[in-house]
Amino acid sequence: MHSADDPVHRSKNHFHPSTAQASNGYEGDYTVPHTRSAPSQNAFFSPQSAFYSSSSQQTIPTNQVASSMELLSNNPFLNVGIKAVGDSMKDITGKTVNMLPNEMKKSLSSIKDYFAVDQIYVMKKLSLLLFPFRPRNWSVGYSADGPVPPRVDTNAPDYYIPLMSVMTYVLVAGLVLGTQNRFTPEQLGMHASSALVWNIIEIGLLCLTFYILNIQSKLRTLDLIAYCGYKYVGMIAALSSYLATHSLFVYRCSLLYVSISLSYFLIKCLRLKILPDTSGSHTYNANGNARRVYLLLAIVLIQPLFIWYLTRHLIVT
Amino acid sequence: MVFTLYSLIEAALLGVNAVAILNEQRFLSKLTGGGGGQQGYPGATGYVDDMQNAGGVKQQLLTLIRSVRTVMRIPLIAFNIIAIIFLILFG
Repeated sequence: MHSADDPVHRSKNHFHPSTAQASNGYEGDYTVPHTRSAPSQNAFFSPQSAFYSSSSQQTIPTNQVASSMELLSNNPFLNVGIKAVGDSMKDITGKTVNMLPNEMKKSLSSIKDYFAVDQIYVMKKLSLLLFPFRPRNWSVGYSADGPVPPRVDTNAPDYYIPLMSVMTYVLVAGLVLGTQNRFTPEQLGMHASSALVWNIIEIGLLCLTFYILNIQSKLRTLDLIAYCGYKYVGMIAALSSYLATHSLFVYRCSLLYVSISLSYFLIKCLRLKILPDTSGSHTYNANGNARRVYLLLAIVLIQPLFIWYLTRHLIVT
Repeated sequence: MVFTLYSLIEAALLGVNAVAILNEQRFLSKLTGGGGGQQGYPGATGYVDDMQNAGGVKQQLLTLIRSVRTVMRIPLIAFNIIAIIFLILFG
């Protein structure tokens, strides 16, 4: 009877902080410190432990899972090792972040604001990217110390959608290649790295153009990165329409539609930021104004080009 | 289409090398025709409003080239040595 109770007894001791049994069959030769995992697990596991104590039949398979996890998390050598690595990593990153100039430090901390999204924002933004043609107000709220978090203002750019859509694009590209029997696992890595490289090239060229044409605009570099990431949503839409129907005509139609809607979206979003506002001083000359219009057009036109170029090799006629 | 990160680094290194070996006398002063002679015009070009004339493009480009050369002269030596060693070892 004692041996039947023993698994129950041992599982209870895993979750209770009070006793630390040295001669526990699951943990071998070393004693188990329970104080670390105590506070959170106690409240969480106490109803379960009560449940386990009532029926000893179900404890055995779960005990084995619990025992391996316990082995991993209660090994004192692993604890020390993990803590040491964590501390040194925090040390290194802290030192390198402090070495950066002040503006970059502010940018780094403001990146957090770009990830502050919620579901309503994501749904609204995605539907806006695919159908921006309804009349609405496109202006972004102004915040003096950094970007407006997207939770507050629907028109603000974010980093969550571009990041997720890049990853989804890589996966969908793998899927398309798989249906054509052209898939190898290296293709995933190649697609990811080429998407990254094309993004870097595009952002670099745009920043260079902003600098050379001497255009002072309210558009921050981080905002530009976000706006250039929205084209991957369109790519996914075009690719999935191709995947569903396998017809070239549908692919071309969806490409056209996605290009038009993305261009419309970007023009509406960037128009307020790049073009000079009419309420300001009227002393700018026509050349600077024309340059801004050309730059805006260039930004808007290279997006469909990229969409076409990055999906073209996946289509088989 | 196959664009790895390594090819980007390689292209960037070659591009910066190309900018660094431009000859100041023969090429750059001829290009400015006097516009680059105003070196005592420090960062002001970046902060004046759009009353800059269209020649500001040339001036901005030349400022960019000159600053890249000044900054990257020494680190470029190091990067080139690293790239040479890398290519010798790994082909």
